[in-house]
Amino acid sequence: MIRTLLAINWLNLKRDRVALGLTFVLPLVFFSIFAVIFGGMGSGSIAAGSMKVIGVDLDHTDVSRKFIDALDGQDAIDIVTAPEPTENEPEPEPFSRDSALLAVRTGDRSVAVVVPEGFAASFGNFGGDTAKVELIHDPANPLVQHIVSGLIQASAMTAAPDILLDGGLEHLETFGGALTPQQEQVVDTFKEMLKTGESSSAAGEPGAAATAESGSAFAGLVEIEAVSAMEAEEDSAGGGPSIVSYYAAGIGVMFLLFSMAAAGAALLEEEESGTLERLLSSRVGMQTLLAGNWLFYSAVGFAQLAVMFTWGALVFDLDLFTPKHLAGFAAMSLVTAVAAAAFGIMLAAICKSRAQLNGISTVVILVMSALGGSMVPRFAMPEFMNTTALFTFNGWALDGYLKVFWYGDPAATLLASLLSLVPQLAVLAGMTIVFLVIARVLARRWEAV
Amino acid sequence: MTPVLSVAEAHKRFGDTLALDGAELQLGAGEWLALLGPNGAGKTTLVRAVAGRVRLDSGRMTLLGRSLNDDSAHGNERDQLGVVPQDIALYPQLTAAENLRAWGRLHGVPSAAIGERVRWALDWTGLESRAKEPVKRFSGGMKRRLNIACGVLHRPEIVLLDEPTVGVDPQSRERIWEMLEDIRGDGASLLLTTHQLDEAQQVCDRIVIIDHGRVIAAGTFEELLRQTIGAERRITVSLDAQPPREFAGERWQIADDETLECRVADIAVELPSLLSELSAAGARVADLHVDAPTLQAVFIHLTGRELRE
Repeated sequence: MIRTLLAINWLNLKRDRVALGLTFVLPLVFFSIFAVIFGGMGSGSIAAGSMKVIGVDLDHTDVSRKFIDALDGQDAIDIVTAPEPTENEPEPEPFSRDSALLAVRTGDRSVAVVVPEGFAASFGNFGGDTAKVELIHDPANPLVQHIVSGLIQASAMTAAPDILLDGGLEHLETFGGALTPQQEQVVDTFKEMLKTGESSSAAGEPGAAATAESGSAFAGLVEIEAVSAMEAEEDSAGGGPSIVSYYAAGIGVMFLLFSMAAAGAALLEEEESGTLERLLSSRVGMQTLLAGNWLFYSAVGFAQLAVMFTWGALVFDLDLFTPKHLAGFAAMSLVTAVAAAAFGIMLAAICKSRAQLNGISTVVILVMSALGGSMVPRFAMPEFMNTTALFTFNGWALDGYLKVFWYGDPAATLLASLLSLVPQLAVLAGMTIVFLVIARVLARRWEAV
Repeated sequence: MTPVLSVAEAHKRFGDTLALDGAELQLGAGEWLALLGPNGAGKTTLVRAVAGRVRLDSGRMTLLGRSLNDDSAHGNERDQLGVVPQDIALYPQLTAAENLRAWGRLHGVPSAAIGERVRWALDWTGLESRAKEPVKRFSGGMKRRLNIACGVLHRPEIVLLDEPTVGVDPQSRERIWEMLEDIRGDGASLLLTTHQLDEAQQVCDRIVIIDHGRVIAAGTFEELLRQTIGAERRITVSLDAQPPREFAGERWQIADDETLECRVADIAVELPSLLSELSAAGARVADLHVDAPTLQAVFIHLTGRELRE
């Protein structure tokens, strides 16, 4: 029975060129537009509110601690020095440079600040070599890198102003001659004020008021070396992950949902034309009917995603054809397609007419796509919206695809990279079950009354 | 008569509407039964209940001796049932052959036999030359024929036809009745609903008239005549002049200036004497009509409504 239902669906789709175009060509057009606009720019923007920044102190000095604390005091960021503790596990080790790099690489954090050994010794040395602070960043979000750079300079000023003053005076004396005793007395008094923190009020609370703009005013106090977290992969593969992968996933998932809603509408069309009544008068029971449609829509959805990503690989250099990426893509696309197919069937079961379904599905899919990151990258959204995205289909699907194509650990094994997708796969599988159960319950209206 | 299908004491309510109120019918082996009734009388509900698409509130249904009352009775119990809906329930993008193949498989025709059954159906419907064309290009009559073929491809013993000739031209209608005669020849029993009373009267063995969810009359056409308006024929005579006044009476009625009417039980016996009577009175007959009683008249007599009301 299911084979016959699959054959009917396939022939219907094959002969309907408009439906075929909407399923396979329109998504490519949209994806291509986004890829052309954003693919070469790697653009992004800063999320409003505070962002979590990894702080790694390799210097272990009073100055480096003060510097990290000052950075933490900035409104725009929260410094985390160790991974989140998990229940029944020992307290995690503080971040090392490598673990910080990996955390940024895998998308857990957008940026890490690494204070190097010898930082205190060279702090405030305006004339000579200084130990460079490493800024490990996600190239998907270049603005975050620039903003944190500014905040580092602002923090350097407020962390140990007395030491900076010493360095500055030393520099002045080298090139301008020694201070008079009266000048030294004034400087000593001012240094004491700086040590005790009275400078805050005197300087108009620069620490509290520091912003990205004020940070840029202090550029040059600390030398910063920006390091892309994707550098290793860029070096080995001749180019890192591209924003194209983001849009392939974003646009792909959004259009998948639209296609599945249209497939659901086909079920309602069957109801209106009388073929559904006839099907249910034959040997086909409701379970078989729903299962047959779900399987077919899933296969179409998988094919749609495959076409989308293959197009991305062929035209926009999306890095699809590696074993890890292919395996991850297959796993994500399979589960995403079955979940989207279940979503389409649920919509059909909920709605009483095609007009109703078209209206509801358009609103629901556009809202989920906007919140879930299909239209605007999630890193460009405020933190609370990132949380909201976790309640959307698109959010979880995109997270999975980004893990495969963007945040995948290059050193991880194939199995490990697949296992990293388990949360996304599990949530999407859970959604599939929920959608199917709702669809089955509501489909009772099509059964004998 | 051994019924292959029987419905007894069928009750069904949809909200405030009582769709079936104790309806019952029996379909004999090889019999053609017309189910007639005004719109909303309950005939579609009754047919859908037999097809398994409506669950009765109470009542009994048996098909080839097997009960259909059990909720789980869907599938094998109805394998010997062919359902031809009033809607053209076909896939317009699929060709005629693909539709036949699909519906045949969905009704359990084995894959080994499906090819032969599809060829038979194409021949039966006269659509061999259009077998590979999408159904969406077919005329209404062609779709209607294919619609019927899809419902009988699995050679059911009992066929339910809901308005099989609705919306088709006279030629197509005639072709459809010929097709149905073919499967009657194979021994199939037919239960059909129709608005074509003349056709029901001509082709069906028995007629059931349903109204307000109840069967109000059932039997052969002659039995229905006897139960209702009687078998008398009406004779209308047009004269070339005004009829003599003495003709007005119990036997003749003056319809208008030059027309007389009367009713006769046995036309072969009574017509010669009527004509002699007119001749003896000096009236010259210009024209003469004999109207037989119709199912339409029976229907109006029973329901007080035209069938299409």
